[in-house]
Amino acid sequence: MKVTVKFWSYFCDLTECDETSLEINEGATLGELHAAVMKKFPKLGEMKNSTLKAVGVHYQTDDFVLSEGDEVSLFPPVQGG
Amino acid sequence: MKTQLTITHHLIAESSYTMSDGMGAVVVFHGVVRSTEDGDPIRAIEYEANEAMTRRQFELIFEAIEKQWPVESIRLIHRTGEVAVNEASLRVEVIAPHRAEAFAACQFLIDEMKAKVPIWKRPVSLT
Repeated sequence: MKVTVKFWSYFCDLTECDETSLEINEGATLGELHAAVMKKFPKLGEMKNSTLKAVGVHYQTDDFVLSEGDEVSLFPPVQGG
Repeated sequence: MKTQLTITHHLIAESSYTMSDGMGAVVVFHGVVRSTEDGDPIRAIEYEANEAMTRRQFELIFEAIEKQWPVESIRLIHRTGEVAVNEASLRVEVIAPHRAEAFAACQFLIDEMKAKVPIWKRPVSLT
């Protein structure tokens, strides 16, 4: 199944794009998707432990099971204010 | 509880507020862009927001505040795009019956925002 991954802030610099699409297996988790994204964009691996992950408009943990058409966001720690 | 959330590229010019009888505290906080970032002088900060998620995360924070304090209203403005030094990037207005809950709710809101709301900044150097 296909999911879209959007990058924010300096993650766009590290990946040189603001989004990508990946084919993943049915039942794949957000953590598995993150691993696949880091394989595709190795520079994101340096930020592995501080990466925040969301599906749609909600934060999710690595064990979240993805569905066809999900829009995933990966980004660094937030800095509002 | 009434809430109003504005994400805008425009200068924050808000100054007035309205409240009902029985309210005795208005806390207004402005977050202002400092002239240095990590010790280096800057001209501005460029703010970027994942706007849909920002709106949802602020809604969750407002809901948490409503459960904890008797706040009548919250109005929040956060700027995006380039915000010059000495300009406000953030305005929070909390109206409540007493100062304790107004201050507490305002502090909670800003702490939660800094942990959860997907907004990022990028300093703009002088040159």
